[in-house]
Amino acid sequence: MANEHAQKTLAELSRELQESNARLEEAQRVAHVGHWEWDLETDVVVWSDETYRIFGLSPQERPMDLATVQSMVHPEDREPLYRGVDEDLAAGVRPEAEFRIVRPSGEVRTVSSLTSERWNSLPGDAKRDSSGRPYKLFGTIQDITDRKRTEEAFQEISRKLQETNARLEEAQRIANVGHYSWNLIENRVIWSDEVYRIYGLDPRQGTIDLAKVSEMIHPEDRELVFRAAQEALQSGVPADIEHRLVRPNGEVRTIHSVGTVKRDPSGRPYEMFGTAQDITDRKRSEQAFKQSQFYLSEGQRLAHMGSWAFNDSGHYWSDELYKIYGVDPQNGAPTIDQYLALVHPQDRASMAETIRRMQEEHCGFDQIERIVRPDGQLRYIRAVAVPFIEQGVFKGFIGTTMDVTEQELLTQELRREQAYLAEAQSLAHIGSWATNFHTKQIFHISDETFRLHGFDPKDRTPLERFFDTIHPEDAATVTAAIDQAIQTRTDFDIREYRVCHPDGAVRFVRAIGHHNPSGEMGYYVGITMDITERKKAEQEREKLRQLEADLAHINRVNMMGELAAALAHEIRQPIAASITSASACLRWLARDPPDLERARAAAARIEQDGNRAADVISRLRSFYKKGTPPEREMIDIREIVREMTALLRKEAVQHSIRIHSELDEAAPNVLADRVQLQQVFMNLMLNAIEAMKSTGGKLTIGSRPAPEGQIVVSIGDTGVGLPAENSERIFDAFHTTKPQGTGMGLAITRSIVEAHGGRVWATGNQDAGATFHFTLPTKGAADA
Amino acid sequence: MKSAAVPTVFIIDDDPGMRQAIHDLVESVGLRAESFATGEAFLGAKQIGRPSCLVLDIRLPQMSGLDFQRRLAESGMQIPIIFVTAHGDIPMSVRALKSGAVEFLTKPFRDQDLLDAIQQALERDRIAQVQEAETHNLQQRYRALTAREHEVMTLVVSGMLNKQIASEIGASEATVKIHRGNVMHKMQAASVVDLVRMADKLKLSPRK
Repeated sequence: MANEHAQKTLAELSRELQESNARLEEAQRVAHVGHWEWDLETDVVVWSDETYRIFGLSPQERPMDLATVQSMVHPEDREPLYRGVDEDLAAGVRPEAEFRIVRPSGEVRTVSSLTSERWNSLPGDAKRDSSGRPYKLFGTIQDITDRKRTEEAFQEISRKLQETNARLEEAQRIANVGHYSWNLIENRVIWSDEVYRIYGLDPRQGTIDLAKVSEMIHPEDRELVFRAAQEALQSGVPADIEHRLVRPNGEVRTIHSVGTVKRDPSGRPYEMFGTAQDITDRKRSEQAFKQSQFYLSEGQRLAHMGSWAFNDSGHYWSDELYKIYGVDPQNGAPTIDQYLALVHPQDRASMAETIRRMQEEHCGFDQIERIVRPDGQLRYIRAVAVPFIEQGVFKGFIGTTMDVTEQELLTQELRREQAYLAEAQSLAHIGSWATNFHTKQIFHISDETFRLHGFDPKDRTPLERFFDTIHPEDAATVTAAIDQAIQTRTDFDIREYRVCHPDGAVRFVRAIGHHNPSGEMGYYVGITMDITERKKAEQEREKLRQLEADLAHINRVNMMGELAAALAHEIRQPIAASITSASACLRWLARDPPDLERARAAAARIEQDGNRAADVISRLRSFYKKGTPPEREMIDIREIVREMTALLRKEAVQHSIRIHSELDEAAPNVLADRVQLQQVFMNLMLNAIEAMKSTGGKLTIGSRPAPEGQIVVSIGDTGVGLPAENSERIFDAFHTTKPQGTGMGLAITRSIVEAHGGRVWATGNQDAGATFHFTLPTKGAADA
Repeated sequence: MKSAAVPTVFIIDDDPGMRQAIHDLVESVGLRAESFATGEAFLGAKQIGRPSCLVLDIRLPQMSGLDFQRRLAESGMQIPIIFVTAHGDIPMSVRALKSGAVEFLTKPFRDQDLLDAIQQALERDRIAQVQEAETHNLQQRYRALTAREHEVMTLVVSGMLNKQIASEIGASEATVKIHRGNVMHKMQAASVVDLVRMADKLKLSPRK
């Protein structure tokens, strides 16, 4: 019975054991935990089924030994694993290890193993050998690959979250965006650090209550903010507003705030979450951008300048460009053919060529062309194109086009004006210039100025060489005049100097320089004019004048000849008649018998004709006297001398002759015919001038009282003097020492003086020249 | 006819003294003198007798003596002229003499020079008078010829033989001989040479 009982018990125990093992197996399978035994003496290793599975094998597929186990441990972990176990055992610590294994399929798994000594022996068994080393080791092994991965993934997420948070903070800070949450139930507000900063507060300040927020919102925007929040709460549509806030330091910032309402499952709102962004700077730059856009378009409009871009994605024209070409922006930018149609026919070929080169060679251009707007208006435009290259790759063209019609017309006008001016200068032989004589800087020299100095305008000769052209005899005068003007800061006018051209020609020029006294020292604007022709003309005129005078003289001589001829005829006629009558008379007397009657008649005619001849001669005398009798009056000699001096001054100055009057102040008046007395002075003074014509000299008029109530007037010169021979004959009529003299001057003088009861004579001066004297009666003498 | 043979000297001078003196001198040698102050007055005078000559002052009030000379020639009045002048020059005298003046005298002149010139001028006028009379005579004779005789005379003085003349005028040689005899007779020509001289005086142009 006891046996039976024992049998039964054994059977029960065995079953229980099997059940227990099966449970253990199942537990191990579910928990992915296997166990193992390692007989340290035999190195035999026993694995549970799950251990086999963990190692990628079929349960109990084959018996295990240490070497096989070791071979399945990941090579990198093998050595540390076993060394660690030994160290732990030696230290009396239960070894715990995590290591990788390599399944036969090559898959790497991470496992965790716990090692125990106690489990390896039944109670009472010797645990250790004599050396203290355990006989057996027992342990569990758990596949922790998945757990490990999860752990790692978690750690990664957590790290990333931290990073993200940090980045978010940073991003918010950089973007001036903060976030907030408004607990609607507790009416509490939580701000991110950036919101604090946006509000000009320190993030460490702690929570903010709604009243404080409300206080900081700009008074004018407060209502707007809260009404928007209210609307968002009611409608569920996120609030999106811009408002201003006032920082504690008084600074006003503009904020873009967005808020969404969060609701609990029952739909009751419990939080408003949102972002706040400081858009002050963006706002400003937006404004600035708008402003600059406005300025740009306005600038284009004002400058008549349009801009364009031409690339793969198309062809862009600015509004102003359409206006410049007078085409409708609705039609878009024109094609090349459409564009060329707008170009002036004469410029079209060259523009087509430019566009072709631009496209083929990717080169820019800058040129002025004419266009004809659809309304027929002709405009000048300046088009500039620049190739647009990004990172070394050609992307297209950008450019500007400017309406330069006004400038172009002005330029043309200016060129025309310049041409006219140059033409005028060239015609008038007047050159213009602007220079600083002090610094030798040339600001302007017209072409004609170059030509006036004998230079080619193309050579742009320097200032020094202009001075070199001045005639050596005039150089000092010119330089001195300019220097003087520079020093005194005045204008100069050098009326005449000569310049020598390289070809040897000498020209007379006049230079006038104007200086602005408040301007830079030595800076002059002026003109230089060629006066050669004028000077020649002056000389010609002078010659002509001389010729006229000579002619007048010759005429006078001819007149005298005519007079003589007339007189000869007048006198010859009665003489011839009387001679003929005398012949007739003789013939009447020679008759036989003599015809006395006829002879008497003939003799009477002879008398008649003789008287007639005498009459002619007296007529001649009266002709000389010019009005008889002379009208005598009291005349002041000084007055006559003044008149004659004034009349003859020009003639005298021309020949470097000074007229000097030494008339006695107390000289009495003379009784004379005014016109005849003028004639006397005129004759004698002219003779004196004539005598000094080639030498110059002094003409002296003096007077002294003479006996018998007369006055002696003397007219002296320093000229050639009296002729050595026949000096007494100079007063005879027709006696002349001058090539064009009539020989009448002194004869008339003598006749007039003698008619006045005076006499005239000449004396030679001791040093040079001659003096003519004549006497005239004063009133006293005339009375006497 | 006898009185008509007394030569007359016409004097034109605007100077009365000179005019009278020349007038008196001319009369003192027994010639007739007629004097005028102007050329107009001379032209206005009655028929000018022959032989005569003209003493002309070159300087006249209205018209110069040279112009007056030309005017006389133009009006067909052929009278020898002696110029006198108070102020003559060589070109003027050359011009005067070329125009047919007998002499060019400068006042005052020697009386004999003027009288010689006057004698010369009168002689020249006398010869001219004879020639004119002869020409007049010839012209009368020539006018008496018939048209055919005129024709024959022209051909004869051209030196043609009767035969040639006959063929020229389309007549027989005998007829030509008769015409020729009539011409010689009517013209009172002694020979053909005489006839040629007459033709010359009559200024007939011979046939060539």
